[in-house]
Amino acid sequence: MTSPLISVKDLTLRFKTDEGLVTAVNNVSFDIAPGEVLGLVGESGSGKSVTAKALMMLNAENSVYDDSSHITLSLDGEDIEVLSLKRPKDQMVIRGGAISMIFQEPMASFAPAITIGDQMVEQLMIHSDMTPAQAKEISIEMLTRVGIPEPAQRFGQYAFEFSGGMRQRAMIAMALSTKPRLLIADEPTTALDVTIQAQVIDLMKDLVDEFHMSILFITHDLGVIAQTADRVAVMYLGNLVETGTVRQVINSPAHPYTRGLLNSLPKLDDLEAPLTPVPGDIPSPLDRPSGCVFHTRCVESGAIAERCRTQIPVYTSDSANHQVSCHLATQGDES
Amino acid sequence: MFHFLQFAATRAMLAVITLVMVSFIVFSLMEMVPGDCAERYLAFKNTQGSQISVADIDAERVRLGLDKPYIVRWGKWIVDAFQGDYGDSCILRLNIAQLLGEKFWISLAICLTSLLVAYLIAIPVGIISATSKSPVVNNSLRFVSYLGLAMPNFLLALMIMLFSTVVFGDSLTGLFSKEFRDAAWSYERVKDFLSRAWLPVFILGWSATAFAIQTVRALMSDEVGKLYVLAASARGVTGRRLLWRYPARHSLGPIINSLGFDLNRIFNELPIVALILTLTEAGSLLIEALARSNDQQLAGAIIFLLTASIVGINFVTDIILALTDPRVRRSILG
Amino acid sequence: MTDTATIEDGDANVDQSRKEAYFTAGQGQLIWARFKKQRAAMVGAAVLIILVLSGMFASFLTPYDPTIEGRNPDYQNGAPNIPKFWDENGFSFRPFIYTFERTRSIETNFRWVTKVNKDKRRYVVLFPEGDKYTMLGITFRTHLFGVDQGKIHLFGTDATGKDIYSRTFHAINTSLAVGTIGVLIAFVLALIIGGVSGYYGGWIDSVLQMITDAVRTIPAIPLFMALAAFIPDTWSSETRFFFISIILGFIGWPTLARRVRTHLLTERNQEYVLAAQLCGASAGHVIRRHLLPSFTSYIIVDLIISFPYMVLSETALSFIGLGLKEPVNSLGVMLQNVTKADVLLNYQWNFIPVIFFIILVLAFVFVGDGLRDAADPYADTKK
Repeated sequence: MTSPLISVKDLTLRFKTDEGLVTAVNNVSFDIAPGEVLGLVGESGSGKSVTAKALMMLNAENSVYDDSSHITLSLDGEDIEVLSLKRPKDQMVIRGGAISMIFQEPMASFAPAITIGDQMVEQLMIHSDMTPAQAKEISIEMLTRVGIPEPAQRFGQYAFEFSGGMRQRAMIAMALSTKPRLLIADEPTTALDVTIQAQVIDLMKDLVDEFHMSILFITHDLGVIAQTADRVAVMYLGNLVETGTVRQVINSPAHPYTRGLLNSLPKLDDLEAPLTPVPGDIPSPLDRPSGCVFHTRCVESGAIAERCRTQIPVYTSDSANHQVSCHLATQGDES
Repeated sequence: MFHFLQFAATRAMLAVITLVMVSFIVFSLMEMVPGDCAERYLAFKNTQGSQISVADIDAERVRLGLDKPYIVRWGKWIVDAFQGDYGDSCILRLNIAQLLGEKFWISLAICLTSLLVAYLIAIPVGIISATSKSPVVNNSLRFVSYLGLAMPNFLLALMIMLFSTVVFGDSLTGLFSKEFRDAAWSYERVKDFLSRAWLPVFILGWSATAFAIQTVRALMSDEVGKLYVLAASARGVTGRRLLWRYPARHSLGPIINSLGFDLNRIFNELPIVALILTLTEAGSLLIEALARSNDQQLAGAIIFLLTASIVGINFVTDIILALTDPRVRRSILG
Repeated sequence: MTDTATIEDGDANVDQSRKEAYFTAGQGQLIWARFKKQRAAMVGAAVLIILVLSGMFASFLTPYDPTIEGRNPDYQNGAPNIPKFWDENGFSFRPFIYTFERTRSIETNFRWVTKVNKDKRRYVVLFPEGDKYTMLGITFRTHLFGVDQGKIHLFGTDATGKDIYSRTFHAINTSLAVGTIGVLIAFVLALIIGGVSGYYGGWIDSVLQMITDAVRTIPAIPLFMALAAFIPDTWSSETRFFFISIILGFIGWPTLARRVRTHLLTERNQEYVLAAQLCGASAGHVIRRHLLPSFTSYIIVDLIISFPYMVLSETALSFIGLGLKEPVNSLGVMLQNVTKADVLLNYQWNFIPVIFFIILVLAFVFVGDGLRDAADPYADTKK
């Protein structure tokens, strides 16, 4: 097995608030291999964005990382411990250098009064020794590569002059101009309509092949994951509940939450079937359930409900590297 | 280019319409004064000993054109006002434009300087305070801005006078020393002026700075929380570059927008500060005009001039905003 | 409520009843809960309440009538009398002040000179009978404190012998009263004009906006001065008082009206308004139950913040002689003679009321700021 590009171990992240220390991410571990697309799935409030931002040390000032948390980036044979990068100069490598991020709202993520071109050139010049002329050339190349017509003209325009889908492409172009190893895509398709969504997803898949880049694809949409990702990790209330290849997780989901998510999708082949959402609401992070974090909404716990309520399940892996955190699943293995 | 001229022309039109409305209000207020110019002047002469009859008052009225209908008089006043001619003052019987002379320009210069100084201080301070996490910085800045808000300028002027009288035995009054008061402009006069003018600039700038700091700070705090700042940070932009090119640059618009209103505030404080410091310029002249002699011609002219300055500043800032905001620029220039 | 439990036991020890209380609280209660957390604002509120009450009960709390009636002709331009407990003549449980005797003789060039007589003590008494005053239509004579002989002047006296301490508290009351009326008038005007402008939009809005902007551009104080100067001297001081308050209100409305109008313009297009209309709500119902509560908190904050401006404007006007006049008493009136050289040099206690007013204005500013932070439902939890 090739060594992973980025390896997250026991990441625990809390925020200091007026109500006390709130846990946003709880003991999350996963790896991303080079060239792999990992999907990170969960409801709003599950901690996906916070986890992703942790990879780039972009969380707010009041965030507290546990001492046992480790995020390791393997770059050209060297291992970089991300959480120990304190100085802005050191952090450059995870911000826009080896790791880039694209956001859900492309309009909001471009500065309104600076041209797209200026912002792209700025990023290139921060991360390399290029001259402005070289940077401009590369930027226009990237704009062409993502499929924006008349790139030279677009280079000098402002964000409000682009249409929605084009803005998203421009953002991808900007993120990729520094040839990062890992692209974090935070709900990149959520704000787009379906046809444009398909185009953007195709684009991203092409780029992965071409640049041999990994993607951490954050979304709540399982359908998009099925199309785009190689592996998927499911998060719930800051905990990772299941990880595996897309086939494994979608065809044979091991965790009741994943099963609930899949069941709640409308079935296109049976239009009469009633919708079956996951019952209840996600608890507030101020009020984390004891034991298994999902037990308050789990309909399958049945006989072992008491155990689910009091004991935290261990993250176990089967032979095919399909991992799950569930008493029910491990109990099945035991028996 | 044509679009820009069109835009500028529209704005100018709006400015003129506002001024016309203002003049209407001002003129009406002047008219509301019980007793008109003719009566007043003749009453004044009466106290000097000459005998005045009703016929004299009527004759005077006709001479001044006060018997014409309201609209006509207003029309004449506004047309003259735009040309800088405000007629003669009621009591003093001197041409108002001459009376005001350079006093208005000096007042305007002092006020604009205060505004400039206020923002020169407020912009860096506001930016720093919006992004600083240190409680010392935050609290001391809050304290300073509160003090600026709570201590109105005239109280500050009083305190300064108290202090300087008790400690230095000299109250720092007047804009010019005696020798230079009516002299022609010369290098010496400018030096004398500057050595004394810093005090009104300081006092007027005091609360203007407090306001400006609050405004800049609030704007910056808003901008810093927006997504594009996070996105820029995610691209590796850091430090001062991140601060100035992103949130600061985008806070500029509202600040420019508020300049006219800031000037309005300073004009409000000018008359009283001028009175306390016995400055001989338009501010205290206004008080003389209103409080002591009920000379509504003079008062009306001064108020009109003050408002015209503000309308002028608003026009200029509108144009500047159009040039710096890319959205507006694109829509104008095409 | 800090999270001290280990992860295994589950976070946060918020109990069920508190959560319920949070989710079912009314708007006012929520704002109050957030307001309470800000120390500066709470201090400001406490100070404000104390000052307002002192103003309201000024007649009782202060020993003398603040007008010419209560003056002390023997003690003009007198320095403050600080009660002492102890001096060369011995210790006393009751605080006392010295007797001041005014003498005039050839040695002093026939000018009145006050001498301190340290042997004649005047003891402070509580609840003496003093000058008459009326509150709520009933006449009282009891004041909080006084001296057994003569008069006590905690803050000294002014040029005509009026007690500055008494005048200060009455002045606070007057200024607050003027401010309240002014704010109310401005509020009503702003609500009507801004409300019509914002709710109907279109050309009504454009026209009203141009008028509002024109009025707003005119600098207020010069305008004040123009209006106030035309008050005939024949009016009584009470009528003057109301007139000044009304002027203040008339000039204060443009800014407030603009806020109301902007808010209404954005809110009336919001989806919750559309939802209410789709349910069949009438325009009145929509305005009353949906639109108004959405910006009540902002309006209240604006009102509280505009208060100090009203007070300061009135002070400025009175200071230059165009505002209130004797016997109505306000800070501006008290400061009228303060720029004279001999006052600055010799009678600095005339400035003591200034401190009270700065405190009053600061209290308003703190409370206003605190309320603004508390009322904004989208304010982040600050660190």
